[in-house]
Order: sequence, then structure tokens, then C-alpha cells
Amino acid sequence: MADEALASTGVTLRPAGAQDAVAGVRPRWVALPESTEEVAALLRVAAERDLAVVPVGGGTKLDWGPPPERCDLLVDLCCLSEVVEHVAGDLVLRVQAGITLETLRDRLAIAGQELALDVPVPGTTVGGLLATALAGPRRFRYGTARDLLIGITVVLADGTVARSGGKVVKNVAGYDLGKLFTGSYGTLGVITEANFRLHPLPPERRWVTAEYGTDVRRGRELRREFPVDPGPLLQELAASQAEPTAIELDWADSGDVYTLSVLVEGAAAEERAEAVRAIMTGAELGDKPPAWWGRLPEHVTLAEIRVPPGVAGQAVREVAGADLPGRRLRGSAGAGVFHLGLRDGAGVTGIRARLAPLGGRVTVLAGPDGGADRWGPIGALGLMRRVKERFDPDRRMSPGRFAGGI
Amino acid sequence: MIATLAQRLKAVLPDQAVITDPVRLRTYECDGLTYHRATPGVVVLPESAEEIAAVVRLCQEFQVPFVARGSGTGLSGGALPRSDGVLIVTSRMRRILDIDLPNRRAVVEPGVTNLAITEAVRDAGYYYAPDPSSQQICSIGGNVAENSGGAHCLKYGFTVNHVLALELVTPDGDIVELTELDDGYDLLGAFIGSEGTLGIATKITVRLSRAPETVTTLLAAFATIEGGGTAVSSIIGAGIVPAAIEMMDALAIEAAEAAVRCEYPAGAGAVLIVELDGPTAEVARQFAAVERICREAGSFEIRVAASAEERAAIWRGRKSAFAAVGRISPAYIVQDGVVPRTALPEVLAGIDRLQEEFGIRVANVFHAGDGNLHPLVLFDDAEPGQGERAETVSGRILDLCIEHGGSITGEHGVGVDKSRYMPRMFTDDDLATMQLVRCAFDPGYLSNPGKIFPTPRLCGEVPRVRKGPHPHEAELF
Amino acid sequence: MDAELIKDCVHCGFCLPTCPTYVLWGEEMDSPRGRIHLMDQHVQGTPLTPEMAGHFDACLGCMACVTACPSGVRYDRLIELTRAEVEREHVRQPQERAIRGIVFALFPYPRRLRLLKLPIRLGSRMKTFLTRVHPSLGAMAELTPPPARRVRLPRRVAARGPHRATVGLLTGCVQGEFFPGVNTATARVLAMEGCDVVIPKDQGCCGALSLHSGYDGRKFAKRVIAAFERAGVDTVVVNAAGCGAAMKEYAELLADEPEWAARAAAFKVRDLAEFLVELGPVAKRHPLELTVAYHDACHLAHAQGVRAQPRELLRGIPGLSIREVAESSICCGSAGTYNLFQPEPARELGDRKAARVRDTGADLLVSANPGCTLQITAAMRRAGEQPIPVAHTAQVLDASLLGRRVVA
Repeated sequence: MADEALASTGVTLRPAGAQDAVAGVRPRWVALPESTEEVAALLRVAAERDLAVVPVGGGTKLDWGPPPERCDLLVDLCCLSEVVEHVAGDLVLRVQAGITLETLRDRLAIAGQELALDVPVPGTTVGGLLATALAGPRRFRYGTARDLLIGITVVLADGTVARSGGKVVKNVAGYDLGKLFTGSYGTLGVITEANFRLHPLPPERRWVTAEYGTDVRRGRELRREFPVDPGPLLQELAASQAEPTAIELDWADSGDVYTLSVLVEGAAAEERAEAVRAIMTGAELGDKPPAWWGRLPEHVTLAEIRVPPGVAGQAVREVAGADLPGRRLRGSAGAGVFHLGLRDGAGVTGIRARLAPLGGRVTVLAGPDGGADRWGPIGALGLMRRVKERFDPDRRMSPGRFAGGI
Repeated sequence: MIATLAQRLKAVLPDQAVITDPVRLRTYECDGLTYHRATPGVVVLPESAEEIAAVVRLCQEFQVPFVARGSGTGLSGGALPRSDGVLIVTSRMRRILDIDLPNRRAVVEPGVTNLAITEAVRDAGYYYAPDPSSQQICSIGGNVAENSGGAHCLKYGFTVNHVLALELVTPDGDIVELTELDDGYDLLGAFIGSEGTLGIATKITVRLSRAPETVTTLLAAFATIEGGGTAVSSIIGAGIVPAAIEMMDALAIEAAEAAVRCEYPAGAGAVLIVELDGPTAEVARQFAAVERICREAGSFEIRVAASAEERAAIWRGRKSAFAAVGRISPAYIVQDGVVPRTALPEVLAGIDRLQEEFGIRVANVFHAGDGNLHPLVLFDDAEPGQGERAETVSGRILDLCIEHGGSITGEHGVGVDKSRYMPRMFTDDDLATMQLVRCAFDPGYLSNPGKIFPTPRLCGEVPRVRKGPHPHEAELF
Repeated sequence: MDAELIKDCVHCGFCLPTCPTYVLWGEEMDSPRGRIHLMDQHVQGTPLTPEMAGHFDACLGCMACVTACPSGVRYDRLIELTRAEVEREHVRQPQERAIRGIVFALFPYPRRLRLLKLPIRLGSRMKTFLTRVHPSLGAMAELTPPPARRVRLPRRVAARGPHRATVGLLTGCVQGEFFPGVNTATARVLAMEGCDVVIPKDQGCCGALSLHSGYDGRKFAKRVIAAFERAGVDTVVVNAAGCGAAMKEYAELLADEPEWAARAAAFKVRDLAEFLVELGPVAKRHPLELTVAYHDACHLAHAQGVRAQPRELLRGIPGLSIREVAESSICCGSAGTYNLFQPEPARELGDRKAARVRDTGADLLVSANPGCTLQITAAMRRAGEQPIPVAHTAQVLDASLLGRRVVA
């Protein structure tokens, strides 16, 4: 029996409950391994017994994305939550995948350092962050998880433990498996450890925030749209030599204003923030972010919009022009990545069509897709399928959870 | 076979783009690393992605390996040709196709040099951030293959952090596009740094960065390398991330002096170049701190560049250091290893011990901020046995790097030169897993074979047959 | 060939982007690194094949690679030695031999050149026909400027104001015959800056044309040295970049003849701009409201390292502003006799340079080498446009010192 075989690994095992469902699919068992070796032992058994496996961290995004084609074993990484190595003088960190970013933040703050990623979902673990490649406001300056990840340990479908990268920032030895696993939604294997480059905690932070009106009356109709293309302002902010770290926009359908908030951090933040304020009419300067900063918009369906940064303003206007009652748009206007909260998935197809001419992509991250494909177009799907086939020939790792049905 | 292939190549390329004359072929026998040489079977100089695709398809048809080469400046033999294969040289694909400032990006062909991008956008206040020392000649295609860094990657990252999209010819001869906007696996990130083993980049979209408001460059001279090392640790410890921190030891200074008369302070046992850039107000504060730290660490002379010319003068010695060593030694090996910054003192002491043990001189040039060492192992190839001893010292230095948790290459790549060191850094499983990626892209093992991995993995068919139809395959009945 | 000189090359490739033929064709064997590799093959025993010779012939000898090389490879010396080797070993096609014969029997001899100016000029009307006979003849015809009135310079021009130096002036073959105005301007500028200028009648050709093409230039060198020794000058000032570059190497050229080696070592040569900056300005500069583009002649910028001085002199003229020409380190394709022997690449490079010069939008191009002037002007004419006026640094300075307009 498969459960006996799993139990023989010595890993803590329990039967799955309704709360363990992965996008509605209930696994049979939940395993709670405490080391990379235990994960490997579990996956070896899974390979022998043809069990489908889904890894989980904080479980905050388990209902995201399409349901798995099948799911027997949920590998819960909650017990792999150690900081394995933190050498402050090297600004380098090695952690297990199950540690939450909040815990990590507190640990690193003691040394005056941080992992410069702000993930917009509380309770996210390092593994979950990597698997979904979700990023917050400071992506504008620091990039996303892939840009700060310097090494990774994974367990493949057959139980093979593999590492790539290392614990030095500069390293080009071998293929970068970390890139491949970042954003792979658990379809290539289980991430058990990750190494990151860190940054010193900035001595000062300032937010420059301004609200801009949006209501326009067209004939008898009241329409919510951007009377002025925010593009030029965004361009000016992005090119500002005050070097802001983040340029965020927030706009609720119900409100008649949208908010732009710009973060300036580091030495002389105050003076630089003043330079940013000079660009933004009517802006206020403070040392606290707006309440919505770094959080996902409320949603039933959550979509991610990605556009080339130069057309971010146009993209916002396109969203404004689409008929999407109750939508809330928020995101990194400087980087051209927004999150769109919707009441349902009905408007996805329409917004996708509007953004396509701008070179934009729309992905449904969570919630009902309204019949639309969750994923945008993929240039190299053939190659991706071949990668999946090599890593997981039996399609047992989160099958069907990823782009192109991978 | 190669002769027949050459005939077929002439049918898909213009005559003068196919080189078969033996004397001409030999000029392509090595890249920037002359230690390994092989005369290519045929050299082609295509001018478009379609031409490259046609060449690759012919290679598939003849089951002949192919190797891509840009400017031939690589230092790990990554572009070492195959005598039984085709060398695909991209030096004629050097058009800048588009400069798109609102989207902060440029689209270029692979043969465009790194510096040419910056030169094209400098007047508009932008630049391309990665800056390998060979930036005036190394090609962007080569940078993509090697994931090149440069002196400023401490703050700004590597090629992989600055490439937004790629068009590539796969080892099957298909032209595909990878962009950061697309969903799916980050194949863009996996391809960059794959040293030509996953295909050939034919169009590259790079990020353009806004030129910083202020750049301040400081040169601090120390009596000893330890003094410089202390300063580096203190700068990082103070929470400052400079754009670059470079260090050279006395021997490297001597070489640079002989080559370009950089006029670094006399009597320096080490010089540190620290460059800060960014908003003027930020740089001013950080600069004051850096200057104080250097003095406290015992710097006996600090120079600050007051103009672009003076900045270039400070950098000239550093940027020319590799080739400059040719002035003080008949032959030398340029090594490239990485150690955690905190292990630098121990590793440098270890290198000193190796110098004594083997009677071989080593000049040290390194990116101190990120622990990337470039020991230059000097020897006289006319002296019997010296070459072998230098080779041993060079390998031992890599061992030191691995022992201290570092890497065998920070930016030059593995190529053919270091593939034998890969098993010291990675397990068989690690390497086999990496090769899964290769098998997905190049199951026939024709794209730059023999590089990176010490032993090829035979890919064969996909290991096990998938059960049932692919969920996205159309049901026909 | 010198195997040791070849060994200095570490194959780094820094020379590639500065090499005009690499810029044109993107081929390894048409780059300095590739040519050194070919030289090495030859030294190792590979016979000199026609392909090899072709790649050596295609080198312009602009020496931009020498400037770029961090390892200090003496490519200048290497290519000179190689060219001599090519002349010894390689049998050229009869037609090519004939053309080379004409050029080397003609250009180094001012008197012969003078006699032939008219026929060449007539020939320019028959350019199409001549090109058909041999491209080099067509190139020759295309390059020739309209005839200039011959100017007889005095043997001695006395310093104006307090005497500061006694200098000799090399008049040059092509400079003297095609651009006599440059020599008069040079003499005047030197005099106005307080120099007694001696211009020996029997100075002859400096030998540059032959030397840079692999022919023996020693007899020319000895004659020049002797002539200026007799003139009793401190320094010989040269206003043609190619001549200056060759003359600065006399000591190396004559190293095997002890007596001459010593005389060559004592022979002090300076480019005009170099000399004037060392001397320091004294004469009053009158304003010139002009925007000029400064063209770096290879034999000045690369072979002699004179880049800053001409710009400094130009900047010293009130009202004058300088624009830099993009790709300034890439040769215009003139390169001594190159545009005669390799007309096609020379033409391509000329077109490229002309376009870059045009992009500057300058009123006047300043070029310190007669070959470049001929080449760039011809390229502009070919493009069907009014060529930008070209003047030598000396002429611009002369105008400023005299308070007159520049006459190019």
C-alpha cells in the first residue's frame, strides 16, 4: 500500500482534510518532511507508487491557478523553516523553503539587512514566493525573486536532490536551475532550500503620495477614465535621477481619484523625495506608506497585467475604458506590472484584447477565469513542454497547474 | 562529409560567408583563451536569424556539431571550434535594430558590441549596465552566452538581469522568442549563461538604464592588501553598496603601470578603486563615509576623480590589467574564481602559500565587492616545467575557492577550460539535472558539445512514456 | 619576421573594433589579431599563400590597433616586416605589379609628381575608362584635386618678434604639390610664433610611402637627415601626419648602420601641432566664428599619439567651436597608398567617414594630413554633394593669427 510505503520513510504523515484541497482537488495524504532528504525519500516513494505530488508552503496561494489533474500527496514544507546560514559580512543568506518572509524579515533586521522583495501576500514562504514568482512594489529597483536568488536546492520527481548556483553572488558555473524553478508552480520538483543576496536595510524611507482625479462627464454619461494620460508623469518619475525604489498606483472603481505613491529609500532620502515631490503636483511626503501599499487588491478573480513600462499609462487608460464593474487596479506602474481585482472572470477576455496591441499580457492568477485561458500567449511552449517532460516524464508534479496545461 | 556540408552551406549562404580555406580557418582556432585550439571544419558568417537557422538545420541533417562565436574574446574557451563541425560567427550581425527610450530598451543583433549600445544611447542619458572589461569589443551575443558581469555588477547585476527578451535559433533550427512578459518557465533566465549549449541568440532586447546623476570614483592606496581588504569589509558593513569596488595588488599595479602608465601611487601594496553612483545627495553622504573608512583602514593616499578624463585614467589601469600582465611575464593564466567576501583574507593568504610552494608569481586583480578573484598566474613558457607548475597553481586556487564555499567561475564561464572542475563543485546528480535542460533543448548533443559538462549525458528518448494524451492535445476522434 | 614580437599578442581582441577592415567585413583574418595569427602561421612554416598576402595587403596600416592594444604589441613593426616579406616572396599579378611600379616611381618624387599633375587631371575626365583598365587608375583619377598654383617657398623665413627657436620645415611630396597653401600657412604660423624657419631645397621625400608599403626607405631617410643637418635646425617640423610618423622611426630604420643610427637618433622631429603646444602660444589669436570638425589622421593620432594638441590649438582660437567626428579612431581609407591599391574598401571607408563628418554639421573640416583631405573630399563628391571645405590645422591657425578668413 502506498500509505505504508510513505510511512516507511519515517516522515510525519497525516490524512488530508478538506482544508488541504488544492484548487478544489483534495489530496489523500499530507506529509510534513523536516529535511531535504526526507522530501527526497517521499518523492522516491511517490515515483514508485505513481503518486501525484503538490508542494505547499504557507498555503496562501493553494487555491490559485487551475486545479491539478490529480493530487495524491501534499508535501507541506512548514517544518523546513530554518535559516541555514546568514553571513552578514557577505550579504548572503541560505534558508529552507518553508520559512515565511515575515519571520525572515525580522531575523535579518537584527543584522541591519533585508531580502529586498516585498511579497504582497502575508504568510508567504520562501518556497511559495519562488514557485509563484510574485513580486511587490520594489521590483522596480531590485527586480523579482529570480534576480536575487543565487542558489537553489530542489528535489526532482524521482527523488533526485539537485543544487545549482551557490552562496556567492557572482557565479556562472553551470546552468541556473534557480531561474527555471522560479515561477514554475511546483511542476518541475520541490524547492527545499534557497540562497539569496541581501541588501543593507536603507537608513531612511520616504513616500511621496498624490491623488489625481479621474471623473469625466462625456455627454450625459459619467465615465471613469483618466482624463490625462498618466504616462508622461510615470516616465518622468521612472527616469528621475532621484532614483525612486518603487512607483505604485492604486485605483478603485468606486473612487473618483487614483493614487500614485513613490518610495525613495537610502541615504539622503528626504532630499531625493523632495525632488520627486517637485515632479508630482499636490503630493505629500511622509515616512509611512499608504495603507494599500504592497498588498494585492481585493478580488474574487485576480489578474496580473504586464506591459512594457513605456505604455503603463496607456494600459491604465485601457483598463479604465473597459467595462469592469467593481475592479480595483493596483501595482508597479514604474515597472509595468499591475494586479487587477475583479468580481468575476467575465472581463478577462476583453481586457486581454485591449492590451494585446500594447504588447501587454494578462494572466488570471486566482479565482474564476470566466472561460478565458488563465495564461497569456507563450512564445516557446514547445520547449517548455520538453523541459517538463525531461524533469517529470510521468506528469506527477502539480500536473496541469501551469501555463499551457503543463 | 564536411566538404559536402560546405557545398550545401554555400547554397544557403552567400559565397563569401562560407570559409573553407585552411589558412583562413586557422585564424578561428581559438577565442581569447589561446591554450585550447582546434581548427574549425567550416566557418560561416551569417547575417540573419534565418541564415543561422538554415545552417543549424543543415548541421542536424549531417549530424555535425556547431559552435557559435561572437568577437572571440571569451576566456574559458567557450567558443573553441570543433574540427568536425561548423563555427557560426555572428560578427556580421551587428545592427542596432531599435532604440526605444520610453520603454527603456534596445533591440540589437548578437554581434553588436557591448559598448556600442551605451554609445548609441549615451547622449539621451541612458546606458547599458553590464560592463565586462572587454566591453569595447565583446559582443552582446557572447555576453548572453556567458551571462557576463563586469566591474559594476556588484550594484547592478549581470546580463541576465538586463536582458528582457531573446530571439534564438534552437538546436533544432527553429526560431523562437523568449520574453520576460510571457507566462511559463523562465527559459530566458535559463538560456542566459548556457554558453551556447542551448542554441544561438539572434536578437537581444536589453534594458537601458538611466545614467546616474553623479558618479564619484576614488582611488585609495594601501601599503598592504590586508589594509584594502579591511576597507572593503567596513564599506559593506556600513550598509553602502558601491557601484564597484576593485582591488589590485602590487604585481598587478606594476603590470598596469608598464602597459598604460596609469600612475597609481608609488609604493602601493594594493590599490582600491571605489565607485559610487546615484543621486548627488546620496553619493555625497556615502562618499564621505567611504573616504573616512579608507583612511581609518590605513590608506596613505586617496585620489578622487574630478572629471570624466580622470575617472577614465583611474579605470585605465584596472581595465587593461589582464593584457597588461603580458608586459611583465612571457606567459600567464587568467584565473576567475569567487569566494564569499569574508573569506578573502584566508584565500589570499592561501594564494601566497601556493606562490611560495611552487615558485610561481601570482598577480591579483579582483572585484573585491563580490569576492570575484582574477589571479593572474605568471610563468615563462620557455622554462621547462613552469607551464605545468602554473597550471597546478591555477587549479589549486580554484580548489581554495570551492573549499571556502565559492565558485570556479564568476564571469568567464566554464567553457572547455573548467569543465573538469565542475565535479568538484557539483555532485553527479546536480550535473545530471542540469543536463536535463540540455536534453530538452538539444537532445542530439550538437550545440557546442564538450563545453560546461565534463561528460555528456546521453539524452535518448524521453525516459518514460507519458500515460494518456496530453491534456492540451486536440482529440481527433 | 620576428617571432618574439608575435608572441606579445595575447589574443584579447581589443584591436578588433578599431580596425577599419574588421569594421567593414567582420572577418577574423581581416583584423589585426587575425593578421598576427596569419603571420604566426607563416613563421611556423605555412607558405605565404595568395589568400594570406591578400589579408596583409588589405591592412591600411592606420595603426589604430597599436593605440588600442593593452599588451603593447608592435603591430606597426610587424606589418612593416610582413609587407617586406610579401614583396620578397609573393608574386603579384603582372597588372598589379605595374600599378605598384607607377605609384612608387611617382609619388615619392615631387618633380615627377609635378610633371604628371596635368596628365592625371586630364585623366579624371576619363575616370570610367581608367577604372575599367584598372580600379587603381580610376581611384587615382578620382582622388586628384584641382590643380593648385605652385608656390615657391623661400629658403628661410625670419621669426616675427623675439626669436624663440630655429626649425626646419619638411614640405612633403603630396602636401607640397597638391596643397602648397598648407606649407605657406605653416611657415607663417611658425614665424609669427617666433621661429626662424629653414626650408632646405634638397630635402626630397621622407620615404613614408615606401616604408609603409614594404619597400626600402633608407636612402630617402638618409637624404632627409643630411639635408636638415646641413640646415642647422633644432627641430624639424612636419605638417603631414604620414611623413612625421615615418621620420620618427628613422632611428629604428637605420639601426643596422651605426653611423646613421647615431645621426638618426639626434634627429628631432615634431608634428606641427605637437611642436606649437610644446612651444606655447605667443602670437595674438583673432576670433574666427566657425564650427569645425576635427579629423584624427591615423598617422597623427595612432602612429604619433598626437590627439590632444591639435584640439588644444583649435580651442585656443576665440569664437571657434569644435565638434567631434563619431568613430574618430576609424581610418578614412586613405592610408598612404591604400586608396590606390585597394580602391574598393578604401571607397567604403571614405563614404563612412564622409557620412560621419557630415553628421557633425560643421562648417569646416580640419585635417592634418593631405591624404585624408583628398580621400574625404572625394567621398563627398561621389555622394553628389558639395564637399565640406577642408583645411589643415596650420591654415586655421594662420587665419586666426592674421585675422583673416580661412582659405582652405
